[in-house]
Amino acid sequence: MQHRSHLVHRVWEQQMYHKITMAMHHTLILLIHMVMEIQDTRDTIITIRSSSSSLTILAISSSLTTPAISRNLTTPAISSSLITPAISRSLIIPAISSSLIIPATSSSLIPATSSSLIPATSSSTLTLPIHNLWEHIKTQTAGGYPSSGYSNQTTTWSDGSYANYTPHQYANYTPDSSTSAYSSGTVTAPSSHYQQQQYKQWADYYSQTEVSCAPGTENMTVASKSNVGCPIPGVSSGYSTSTSQAPPSYTPSWMPESSSSEFSSVQPAAGISSASDAYWQHGAPSSQIHITSPMQPQSQKPLDPKTSYDSFLDQQKAAYSQGHNLQYPATHQVPQSYQSPANHQVPQSYQSPAQTVPSSDTRRVSKLQIPTNPRIASNLTFGLPKTDKDSSTTGAAVKPAYISISQPKANEKVLSNDAADSMLKPGTFPKSLCGYVERALGRCKGDMQMEACQDLLKEMITKATADGTLYTRNWDTEPLFSLPNVDAVNKDLQSSTPGLSLPKYKRSPSRRSKSRWEPLPEEKFVDKSASVVNDTMKYGGWINANDKDRKPFFGNNGNKENNMSGMKFSPLDQKNASKIAQRPVKKQRYADGFNVADNCDASSDSDKEQSLTAYYPSAITLANTPEEKKRRENRSKRFEKRQGRTESNQFKPKNAGAGNLYSRRASALVLSKTFEEGAARAVEDIDWDSLTVKGTCHEIEKRYLRLTSAPDPASVRPEEVLEKALDMVHNSQKNYLYKCDQLKSIRQDLTVQRIRNWLTVKVYETHARLALEVGDLFEYNQCQSQLKTLYAEGIEGCHMEFSAYNLLCVILHSNNYRDLLSSMSRLSDEAKKDETVKHALAVRAAVTSENYVMFFRLYKTAPYLSTCLMDLYVEKMRYKAVSCMSRSYRPTIPVSYIAQVLGFITARPRNEGSDVKDSDGLGECVDWLKAHGACLIADNNGEMQLDTKASCASLFVPEPEDAVAHGDANLAVNDFLTRTSL
Amino acid sequence: MAAYPGMSMGEAHRRITEYLNRFSDAVSKQDAASLRFLLSLSSNSPFLLSLADALNTFHDSSRLIKHSDHYSQFSDILFNFFRSLQTYRLANLFDSYQAFEKSANAFIQEFRNWESAWALEALYALAYEIRVLAERADRELASNGKSPEKLKAAGSFLMKVFGVLAGKGPKRVGALYVTCQLFKVYFKLGTVHLCRSVIRSIETARIFDFEEFPKRDKVTYMYYTGRLEVFNENFPAADNKLSYALTHCNPRREANIRMILKYLIPVKLSIGILPKDWLLEKYNLVEYRDVVQALRRGDLRLLRHALQEHEDRFLRSGVFLVLEKLELQVYQRLVKKIYFIQKQKDPTKAHQVKLEVIVKALKWLEMDMDVDEVECIMSILIYKNLVKGYFAHKSKVVVLSKQDPFPKLNGKPVNS
Repeated sequence: MQHRSHLVHRVWEQQMYHKITMAMHHTLILLIHMVMEIQDTRDTIITIRSSSSSLTILAISSSLTTPAISRNLTTPAISSSLITPAISRSLIIPAISSSLIIPATSSSLIPATSSSLIPATSSSTLTLPIHNLWEHIKTQTAGGYPSSGYSNQTTTWSDGSYANYTPHQYANYTPDSSTSAYSSGTVTAPSSHYQQQQYKQWADYYSQTEVSCAPGTENMTVASKSNVGCPIPGVSSGYSTSTSQAPPSYTPSWMPESSSSEFSSVQPAAGISSASDAYWQHGAPSSQIHITSPMQPQSQKPLDPKTSYDSFLDQQKAAYSQGHNLQYPATHQVPQSYQSPANHQVPQSYQSPAQTVPSSDTRRVSKLQIPTNPRIASNLTFGLPKTDKDSSTTGAAVKPAYISISQPKANEKVLSNDAADSMLKPGTFPKSLCGYVERALGRCKGDMQMEACQDLLKEMITKATADGTLYTRNWDTEPLFSLPNVDAVNKDLQSSTPGLSLPKYKRSPSRRSKSRWEPLPEEKFVDKSASVVNDTMKYGGWINANDKDRKPFFGNNGNKENNMSGMKFSPLDQKNASKIAQRPVKKQRYADGFNVADNCDASSDSDKEQSLTAYYPSAITLANTPEEKKRRENRSKRFEKRQGRTESNQFKPKNAGAGNLYSRRASALVLSKTFEEGAARAVEDIDWDSLTVKGTCHEIEKRYLRLTSAPDPASVRPEEVLEKALDMVHNSQKNYLYKCDQLKSIRQDLTVQRIRNWLTVKVYETHARLALEVGDLFEYNQCQSQLKTLYAEGIEGCHMEFSAYNLLCVILHSNNYRDLLSSMSRLSDEAKKDETVKHALAVRAAVTSENYVMFFRLYKTAPYLSTCLMDLYVEKMRYKAVSCMSRSYRPTIPVSYIAQVLGFITARPRNEGSDVKDSDGLGECVDWLKAHGACLIADNNGEMQLDTKASCASLFVPEPEDAVAHGDANLAVNDFLTRTSL
Repeated sequence: MAAYPGMSMGEAHRRITEYLNRFSDAVSKQDAASLRFLLSLSSNSPFLLSLADALNTFHDSSRLIKHSDHYSQFSDILFNFFRSLQTYRLANLFDSYQAFEKSANAFIQEFRNWESAWALEALYALAYEIRVLAERADRELASNGKSPEKLKAAGSFLMKVFGVLAGKGPKRVGALYVTCQLFKVYFKLGTVHLCRSVIRSIETARIFDFEEFPKRDKVTYMYYTGRLEVFNENFPAADNKLSYALTHCNPRREANIRMILKYLIPVKLSIGILPKDWLLEKYNLVEYRDVVQALRRGDLRLLRHALQEHEDRFLRSGVFLVLEKLELQVYQRLVKKIYFIQKQKDPTKAHQVKLEVIVKALKWLEMDMDVDEVECIMSILIYKNLVKGYFAHKSKVVVLSKQDPFPKLNGKPVNS
């Protein structure tokens, strides 16, 4: 049985801005053609022209060959109709939705499936019609149809406030499993708003994808439903984000995914799905990306479908879908189930991606004007045609996958059940979660890893759902668990060769499928799902597989063009796949830009890995155990603490669709809640007055850890302990790094307890001095500024000493005329009588007049730690001096004189005998002069002389030996160690 | 002005209404001068003072404002201005400032809508008033032990005003006035670095010639930017700007001239130009007299004494370091004098100045410096091209060039 469905949408120019587009929609005319053919029997083409206020929709739906299926379809149709209003509301195009729904209902692909899947069949039917349509398009005018209607729809989508819209849709969709397919069709119509051809095409793809979703639903009724619902919300959200975001942003996100899930990236199906996601979410960017990406090898394409599935699965963490091919639907569902044990929609979203994928293919085909229809088949078909053509490498791999798909039906069913369960219960998975899943899966290099990861993810999500933390948890900042040890995993995600991995994957589909399926029981346990739905799901998957098989055949028969299209599409597909994969993730991320998310991911990866590595390998089995849950809770809390502020913004509200404001508020609520529980809270939100901590910790030694949340009294030391700690630091023989760490923790404890007294001053003074000794100006400055305020509060301390240091610091290092003036004018008369301050002022005079003799005399007589500060200026002063001397002296200057004047000789107090001292200093001076390009000659007496005239032109400042890439030598640990070890 | 405790309600009502009428008349006739008068809070004009008393008597002025369409359009301006005036009269400067800022904000909104720039004068008044009021409010705050932050707020308000004016069009003429008020705020706050953005906006605007700004604003602007250049130790630029301010300022405003000279004289000194004594006398800049004298004589001791004596003043005005750098010129003068004396004794050996001679001379000046130190200073003099020649270390002799051994600065700063 072959079903082809074509959706052609023409989008009249629409403005990029959703709101504008929304307004425009009313005036726009949408032509939606849905043609559904059933090759075997009869093709019923239903053309519905419904002119809603603004839209005219042409929908051609083909009835399914199988009566049973049709029955199934009818039910879904009804459901779809139910759904439609909701969608229409959201879309503002009721007519379109209805029309779309109708066609969707019409076709069911596989009778067998229909029986088992009855509800599901409807969705499958949708997919089939799409295929048929596509074929028609291909045969006739593929290019002509493409963009319009869908684009309009997209715009509407975009226009529709995503937040509000999505949730509604979800709700609607979730109830109607079969309907979802229809709704998806409707959704598609609204989806495209892009003005550019590419965009239009995408829109078409989109619409197609939606249509395909319907087909997808066929394959997996539940899935389709879920798809429709999910994709729409996801899409809508995605749009909002995507529009704002730059196309490039998308690409990167996509890239990682593909790379991460090798399979997905490589394989066309995955690619497609991702592409569809991307399309949905990013819109324009995605389209562009698609265009760019077509380069990938054909061999990969065949794989793509599987990979896409895998990727989806992986991303979704669905352990369920083992058979990749089959999983297409299943995978989607699985992830959904995964993400939202509570969420029904999740599965939908998954499916939708799959559907979208096919549609995108079809569109492409249409564009390419390839007679044969790729569309859903394209997901599958792409792979298949490619396989045929490419047969040798990918094809082999692909085919097995397909086979496996067909075989796994039982598994799929199970999966679908799980998925359905998950889907039914949950509302929607948070976007952030989806992103998290993507990230997690993105790291996987091998199939085995993917599977393991999926299992882990599944567990996590299940637990989270059980805990109710699914929405509250900040998935964006959630640490990634360590990669399972299945394979020695390379960290190069992108570098991984997708082709290779894919083939492997395909080769061992059955095994995988088992592994994936294994987790199912648990999920079942968790979620009570409608068995019927599950069944449908399974069927859907099966059907898809069949379709795929068929399609490949078609593709083969058709042309090289198909291959070509496949080729071209494959990149797109991958993108789509990635997008799809991301879509669920993004649901809650409306506000977050992709880039941001990516960055977060990147930055947090290591942490996540570290934190999770330890326990995850074993976690799979533990998934639902209470201990596990508790652990996860703790872990997430811990992380929240660390993340503090970041989290507050990113926290997802339970009403995922609500949008940023809501989410923020919700997050705030969550935060406060967690805080009550002793967890972290954004530092800035804390009312320090009410939270002033009274420490209870009696450990004298404590490592410094920057607080990102309210301090825990149990880890804060009270004043008397801090005193001891200070003494301990004083008497410690350890190096500066250790002392600095200890002092910082003391400072922190003082701060959180709001202790500001002599002890505080003493701590800061101690630290400032230590920092000066090792030249750690950064810490010194921190202490100095604190000391300034402390002294200003009238707390006793070594005020003068530090005034002098401050002065020296300004003179020698900031070199700012105004700062210097203000520091000087702020000195009290009393201060000016202080020896240390006097010295500092004298140094200032020497520096401003460049009087090197004076400077080095002062250097030798510097009190306290002024020497340390001056040390930092010595090099500069010496160079200035030598260049001055080489200009003004003729013909020579004895090096001994230079050494004496520039502090080489007496600057080394540790030398004892004067002879030793001189020779030592002299040698150092000679070395220094040579290093700076001075010309030295020996006079008649054998005494070294500086040839001033020659040196005049040859002096230079050598590159500092200890220069570090980051520009601050103080940050170099080795440097610290060497200096402090003295 | 005595308070009007016995003012009747009717009288109060009459005065308030009169003010409102005058205000709306001024706006409708675009009479900037009257408007300015009406908004000059701190002018202490009898009219405003009596209005303030009236307001304190008649508490329901907002009803009056809303009563007529003529005023209600400006209700935000007027209502807040009244409140500001009321509290100002009661010497509650903090509240007065708060209300005045609101009023000024509302005025800016209106001003933005006015096509022409007729109300610039009134805006000037506002900009001035808000700054002065903020300074006084800060003083009040500080005396109450609170942190003074109103001037800062006034600064950001003025920045907003600047934004309104700085675009194209006729209102741009007013930008420089606001800039000058901003300078005053920033200099007072010590946040001079904030001036940079404003300056950039003024100086890079190609569409508007600087010369088209009002003269008084140009002078003020040049004065402040000249001071900034002093901070930057960019003496030629400082010289240019301050000289511009000096030549264009009102010659009868001696206080202003003195302020300019306070910075111009050190700048001129540092590029080798000495003022006549009468100038210092006339403008009461005697603190520079010793400095100039020291430069003439090469009297290091005198210079140091002068610097020490007026250290606080110089530090506050920010010229201390400029003056301190004159030391090198004093050394140059000293060596030159020695050279002249040697020349009178023995022209052939005059170009060789022995180090010990210089040390001895410094000793006479009670400057206790040893040979190394003096050698270093001679080296620096040569290095900085204040003395032409070289130093022979072996013989400890400064060998002067036979041609122009002591080059004059001639308006160029000492090489640094």
